[in-house]
Amino acid sequence: MGIIQTKDFGIRYGEKIILSNANINVPEGRFFAVLGENGAGKTSFIKALIGQNQQINGQIQLNTKKVGFVPQFRDITRDYPLSIAEFVGLNYNHGWRLWLNEQEHAAVFSALKRLDLSEMADKRLGLASGGQKQRAFVAQALVQQPDLLILDESTASLDHEHKVALLQTIKQLQKEEHLTVLFITHELKLVSQFADGYLFFENGHVSQGEAHELQSLTTQITHVHEEDEVRHV
Amino acid sequence: MFSYDFMQNAFMAGTVVSIVAGIVGTFVVARNYAFLTHSLSEIGFAGAAFGLFAGWPALLGMMFATSGASLAIGALESGYTKRDNVTSAISALAIGLGILFLALGHTSTTAATGILFGSVLGISRQDLWLLLALAVFVIIILLVNYRALKQLAFDEAGIFLQSRAQKSVRYIFLVMIALSVSISSQLVGSLLIFVLVTLPAASAKYYVTSTVKLMGLAIIFALFGTWVGLTLAYLTNLPTSFFIAMIEVLIYLISVWQFQKNA
Repeated sequence: MGIIQTKDFGIRYGEKIILSNANINVPEGRFFAVLGENGAGKTSFIKALIGQNQQINGQIQLNTKKVGFVPQFRDITRDYPLSIAEFVGLNYNHGWRLWLNEQEHAAVFSALKRLDLSEMADKRLGLASGGQKQRAFVAQALVQQPDLLILDESTASLDHEHKVALLQTIKQLQKEEHLTVLFITHELKLVSQFADGYLFFENGHVSQGEAHELQSLTTQITHVHEEDEVRHV
Repeated sequence: MFSYDFMQNAFMAGTVVSIVAGIVGTFVVARNYAFLTHSLSEIGFAGAAFGLFAGWPALLGMMFATSGASLAIGALESGYTKRDNVTSAISALAIGLGILFLALGHTSTTAATGILFGSVLGISRQDLWLLLALAVFVIIILLVNYRALKQLAFDEAGIFLQSRAQKSVRYIFLVMIALSVSISSQLVGSLLIFVLVTLPAASAKYYVTSTVKLMGLAIIFALFGTWVGLTLAYLTNLPTSFFIAMIEVLIYLISVWQFQKNA
């Protein structure tokens, strides 16, 4: 049984059909690239997956409650005061305790270590580099030890070297911890080196494929990709 | 100086208000709510004017107006409009009404000045108990919701699976800002709310990197300004709010300057 399964699944906004007849099955512990143009339904699908989309039909099943999410936009200005460790701990958002307890503290530092941020635990997030910030975001999503990690365009703002480094880290986490990864991105060529499979959203449909098919998908939607690259520069 | 009852009351009120302002201010600054806070204090002015017109205590009118307005802003901002625009509209409405009630109530200029610029030296022992009770209430509510509030203020984008508790904390926070604004304006007046709620917390964020330390340092900055301000006002016979404002602005400028220099 897959961690994400849909059967004849669809999403609407009023009259507008965002997605229809989606039949996908994402197995556990795999790295899936989530591809498609802006407005093709990627975000709507993710929202439906976690139960935040109201107008749905058919079946959608998420077989875990432990989901980590790295959002696309975060406004971290230079004067953002919290340290990286404190930021990572923000995911403990229940209750009143002013300080993290021992177990929570250990989880934060283990997440920092996995993202190679141990040395920078006390550094102000506002003064961290772009790559460090993205790693801190991933660390925060990992603190509660999710089964499924969703990343929304996490590499978009990084230079090539840091894109590859971040993807390597996530790939390693996926393998070592049997994590399922959904990596939403426009950077098909880049992610094809890391993904085991893909979900491709286009014109209200979603198709699923294996890693080796990503190459043919690359040629199929090359012009889309090129446009995106121009947009990112 | 402390042989006078009014100075004792003023110092105690100042201490209570500074502690609340430091705590609330930390979250206000983190969530970029400075403008909203300022607008709430203008709305508080309208509420106080209405209170005087209706024959209530000014503080009561203020609390009703600010709490109501904060809930209205909360309900509107989650939708389609920019938060600042919503706030401007509600604030404009409130100030207009405030001026009307001042005129209708034939309120004395002294009372109006008191609302706008604060009247800490006029605080009675009875006012003090009310301030203290409100302050304890605000602090308890904030602490009970501490972690959800912290995430809301410092990383709203990171709230992924929004539980009912997280939705309600948004409104709880707004009402607590409203109450803090009402309390603080007893000290510095509604025109100078950011002197105690925003500036100390905004200064603190240049020195420390954890939420607890941010709250602590904001309280220290607020207390320092209030105590020194009251003392200078006593010695010189000039307005307390003037001194508190100058001290807090000075602390802020120094903190920004030091941060720029080091970062």
